[in-house]
Formats: sequence, C-alpha cells, structure tokens
Amino acid sequence: MVGGGLALAAGLATGLAPGARAEDPSEMPPQPGDRLVFLTGPKKGTAIKPADLPLGGPQVQAYPASPEGVLREGSRLNLLIVARFDPAQLAPETLARATEGVVAYSGVCTHQACPVNAWSDEQKMAVCSCHGSTYDLRDGAKLVFGPAPHALAALPLKRADDVLVVADKFTSHVGGEMM
Amino acid sequence: MRGLLSGTCLAALLAVGLVGAAHSADYAPVTDARLDNPEPENWLMTRGTYKGWSYSPLDQVNTSNVRNLVPVWSVATGVDSGHEAPPIVNNGVMFVSTPYAQVMALDAASGDFLWRYKRKLPEGFSALHNTNRGVALYGDKVYLAGLDAVLVALDARTGKVVWETKVGDWKDGYYMTMAPLVVKGKILVGVAGGEFGVRGFVEAFDAETGKSAWKTYTIPAPGEPGSDTWQKPDTWKTGGASTWMTGNYDVASNTVYWGTGNGSPWFGDQRPGDNLYTSSTLALDGDSGKLKGHFQYQQNEDWDWDAMNAPMLVDFQHNGTTIPGLLSPQRSGYLYWLEREPNGGIKYLNAIAYVPQNVFKSIDATTGRPVVDMDHKPGTGKMAQFCPGLWGGKDWPYESYSPKTGMVYIPANENHCNKFEGKVEERVPGQWWTGVAIPDFHFSVDTKAGFYGEIKTYNVNTGTPGWRQLYSRSMMWGSLLTTGGNLVFGGGTNDREFRAYNASTGEELWHFKTNSGIIAPPSSFAVNGVQYIAVQSGYGVDAAYQEQLLSELVGWQADVPQGGVVWVFAVR
Repeated sequence: MVGGGLALAAGLATGLAPGARAEDPSEMPPQPGDRLVFLTGPKKGTAIKPADLPLGGPQVQAYPASPEGVLREGSRLNLLIVARFDPAQLAPETLARATEGVVAYSGVCTHQACPVNAWSDEQKMAVCSCHGSTYDLRDGAKLVFGPAPHALAALPLKRADDVLVVADKFTSHVGGEMM
Repeated sequence: MRGLLSGTCLAALLAVGLVGAAHSADYAPVTDARLDNPEPENWLMTRGTYKGWSYSPLDQVNTSNVRNLVPVWSVATGVDSGHEAPPIVNNGVMFVSTPYAQVMALDAASGDFLWRYKRKLPEGFSALHNTNRGVALYGDKVYLAGLDAVLVALDARTGKVVWETKVGDWKDGYYMTMAPLVVKGKILVGVAGGEFGVRGFVEAFDAETGKSAWKTYTIPAPGEPGSDTWQKPDTWKTGGASTWMTGNYDVASNTVYWGTGNGSPWFGDQRPGDNLYTSSTLALDGDSGKLKGHFQYQQNEDWDWDAMNAPMLVDFQHNGTTIPGLLSPQRSGYLYWLEREPNGGIKYLNAIAYVPQNVFKSIDATTGRPVVDMDHKPGTGKMAQFCPGLWGGKDWPYESYSPKTGMVYIPANENHCNKFEGKVEERVPGQWWTGVAIPDFHFSVDTKAGFYGEIKTYNVNTGTPGWRQLYSRSMMWGSLLTTGGNLVFGGGTNDREFRAYNASTGEELWHFKTNSGIIAPPSSFAVNGVQYIAVQSGYGVDAAYQEQLLSELVGWQADVPQGGVVWVFAVR
C-alpha cells in the first residue's frame, strides 16, 4: 500500500500535463492568442512589443494574459522569460518559434522550479538564481551548465497588431523535478 | 487526476505504516525533563542537547575499537538534493527527515521501516534550498518544518498528521529548513528566504494545538528599539535577518539563543545603517519571545556572511574565572567567545580569525564591533574582493565541542574568495533579490594552495590552536560529532568518505566510502546496550554547486553522485 501511494505521488509531482491544471483562467497555462505582459520594470503590466526588448538580452520576465485581460499569474508555472536576438543567431528550430527574433520560454527552471531570472553577460545566457543552471535562449534554451535535467519549455510566438502573442502551447513539460 | 486524490488523502496514504503497530505501545513520550537532560543513549534533538555541542557521551565506540566499525543497516531515502538532517533517536525509534520535507521512522537497531510522511508541496513551489535539518520531538509527536513554510505535527507512532499551521507565505519567499526547537511546550521555528528579501522572525507554537504563542521579528518596525539602524524608509520591511538555523536554549536562565542571517539585498549601501538585528545572535525569553539581548557580528553587511548558527553554550575560562559562555565560529571566519549575562545580555569577550580573512582590520576589544577595510567591502556599483568568499570560513555545518578534550572542532574552508558589485533591482516577491546575480559572483580559489577544506581545533579556555586536518582536493561541508569515546566523526568531502578521528590528536582512525557526499550531521545512540553511529549521505545544494565551480577552476570531479542513504554503524 505504501508503495502504491508513492507511485501515485511521483505521478502527481511530475506528470501533470499543463492542460490538466485548474479551470480558473488566472491559473490556466498560456493559451494561443494570449498576450505577454511585463512582470517588472517601467512597463510593468503592459503588453510586450518586440521593440521593448533589448537586442541580445537580457531576458525579461512576463506572464501571459488572456484576450479578455485576465493575467495568468495564479500559477507560478506560468512564469515566462522573453528575449530578443538577431534572427541570424537563432538555431533553426528556435527561429521557427520566434517572431522578429523574439523568443519565449517557461521561466521555471527544470531543476527545482526556481525562476530563471538572472543573466550571464559573459555567456549571453539566462541563469537560474537558485542553483546556477544556465540556458542558451538562442538554441532552444538548451542547458549549458548546472544541475537542471533538460531545456526549458519553449512557447511559440507570433505578432498580432504590434504586440507579442502566444502562437501555440508549451512545447514540453513545465516545472522542476521535485526529487 | 488531481481531483481524484487530494493532498490530505495522499498524505494519509503515505503515512500508513508497515510495522508501526509494533512500536506503538512502548513509544516513550518526550518531556521537558528529558530534553533538559537527555539520556546518553538517545539523540533527541538536532545537536544532541540544548547546549548545541553535537557531542554524545557514549564511549563504547572509542579510539581503541573504532577500526572495527561496520555498517549494520542502511536505507535509501528515495530523494536527491542535500541531506542535512541528523537521525533523531528516541528509545530505539529513529526519525530521519530528508529534502522535500519527508520524514521516515525506522527501528533504530534493525532498520525496519515504520512509517513515512511525505509533504505534498504546492504547485509551482520553489525554494533556494530544498533541504531539511531535522525533526523535533515532544510528547508523542514529531514536528517538521515544512519546506513550504508550514509547521507540521505528526503522530510519532503512526506518522499521521495531527495538525498543520502556516508560518509564512512561500509566494513571498518564506520557506523553512531548520529543525524546530522545543521549549517548555512550545515549538519554535525560524524562516529562510533572505535571498528573496523577507523580514525574518522566530515564532513559537503551542505543541498540542499548533496555535501561535508569540512571534518576534528580527528587524524592528519603526519606533521599536533599534529601528533607527534602518535609516532609509521601508528597507526594514524586506531587510532579511532570516532565521534559518535552529537555536540553542539555556534552561537555567530560560533564554533561547537564535542566529540571524545577513541583510537583504546584500549591499549595505542600499539599506544604510547598522541594520539590527542582521548577522546577530539574539537572546529571547523562553516564555514570551521577548528580546533580552543581542550581539551583532558585523554591521551593514555586504558579504553574505549570515550569523545563522546559534552559538554553543560552553562554560570556559576567561581571565582566571569560569564564564557562562557562548562559543561560535562564524561564517565571517572569526571564532567568538561571548558571555551569557544573567539578564540575557550578550557580552563580547574575544575573537580570533580561524581562517585568513581580509575584511576586518580589527575588532574593538570592548564592543566586539569590527573595523571594516573598505577596500574589501563591495557596494552598489563598487566591485570588491573579499576572502573568505560568501560561503565563509564555514557555512551552516555544525562545529562540535567535546567536554573531554575541552576543544572545539570546526569544519572550515579557506583559500577561496568572491568578488562582486551590487545593482539596484526591483523586488519580485519570492524571487532572488540580492542585488547580484549568480553568474556575477566571481568565485575564485588560490590554485596554488595545498588545501581548501579542513578541520580546525582550538582549546576553548586558552584559544590555543590544536590539530588540523587538511583536505587537499575538497572543500569541507560536513558537520562534526564528538563522542565520549574520544572520537570526532564527520564527512563533508567530495570523495564520499565518512571518517573518524582521534579527538585529541587528529589521527584518522577509520573511514568508510558511502553512496554520496556527506553534508549531514552524524548522531550517536544506543539500543539494548549497543552504541551506534548514524549519518545520512546525500550530497547537494551549495556543496554541489561549489563543486561544479571547482571542477572548472581546479579540475575536481563535478559529478559527486546524489541520492540519499541513511547509514548506521556499530562495532562488530
């Protein structure tokens, strides 16, 4: 019985598909058509336009917002990082998901779910503040250093009017591996 | 899927014991009297006693027979990350906590599994350190500081949840990793989250009901004594002074000694003033939590040198008389001798550098206030190098005091530095907010140094250095245990070894290669007349991160295997 409970616990900890989360729109994962909204900085709370982003990084943090204006900050798993690069620097798969060189990823480290909110100027890469996992946002957010097991989930983007909009769901599982 | 099984139901499932009933009848409730004076065969709290010596008087395992120490049982914890809790033992029942707020109960002699509690953490939860440093025992309950800042009381016989109480909001950056401290029917806890800009506190809860009894913030609000040391408005609200390690307790004076963390953000010029009570030891009344005294080790902190470890309560000789003292090797690299005054005040007596340190030019002989070399004080936009680096002369791992030798044993590190500067950053609740990003730490080591980790020892009465053990290819991240058998036990190195030294001479008498690196404190206990030494092996957290940096700097092996195992040894 204990063994059964543990297997179930492992399933709960790691196996939650993004779509299986709560019905509360503020907790729902990013949906196609959502805008991306600054979490910090002078434009906090406003929709991100490509020109708002410094070319070559660092990343900014964002949450998705529904077309009706519901900010999906109810779940920390919806934290996003967004950065703009010269499209010529992007790996082909990354380029295909980007719009005007802007890429978006889950901002939740795949190691233990800490925010990937730091930036290495030296490497031009995004870094998790907890344990230093370092991701190359120009190449699918693949891991280049640190304890994380795999890349960050990518969030395909497109442009609608002059702002960034989610084009599709996360490409892979979001969140850390808690054990 | 989530709807099918609630968290409560899950916890209940996990708490079902396999052979728990076997121990239900004879579980010995833990009383105040037992905590005041624990039986030698038991290890009832994280550092063994309220004095915090990490010392077991048991002497069956000793310098003459420790060579015959062998593992008698082990158990996998099933989790990774840094295991930092000692096995806690009460009359043959062992309680071990692990990363991710899990508790396992086992038969301490046979290793038979009794029950397991595994906390379900909230979706999206994250913490800087997913560790736990031990449970507390009182009455017939086991108390766990949940990583998500919830205090949990478990039935010691079954592992079932008796009550839960929210201590802080994890979304604001509060989390808990220390072992709770039991003081006369109350369960005291502190909080982590200094890197996230929390305001620290110590809070006490009724052991039976979980109801809050008192809460003392470690940063005064405007108008309270000490608030004038926060000269810039509102900086006190996010000023740090976290309380992430367990306090010690002086039963005679009813005083709790609790350590505090550094200031938030890390750069003092962003929070002008001395910033009481960051990087301090606090003396709190055991009944009310009222602040009776304090000692601040360094003012307007910049180096991430928390004063998180409560000093050990040691009576030592000073100017020819025996002083009721406090002894504390600080993260700053200095070893302090302080006096416990009858009214709860803390008086500075002396301090010496136990590793080379380039920040303090001197320490005022009366007040204990250091004179800081401004060339080694980083600031906002001001790059400065300092040694030892931010992990300090020692980090959280416990030193040990042996009354047999009159010596303190310090797990230390030297020949390392950091160099950084601060930035002004916008605070996002629950996110890293130190003013410097991890890639900009510029950690360095003296690549020509012959060693990095070490054990340093001092005579507590004279301050005279004793033996040293140097580790040429490892840092030292292991808590130490001394015993009545005149032994020092500890791991802490990247080679996965668990070692025993002669406490008088430092001679290595025994070693055993475990599954992973050991950063947890060892404990010792006896069942049916047999003495055991127990320790968890499970590398992770800062030790693992630092090891990765060292693999780049000096070519050490980056991969110290992770995954926890509880080891129990006896002489055969």
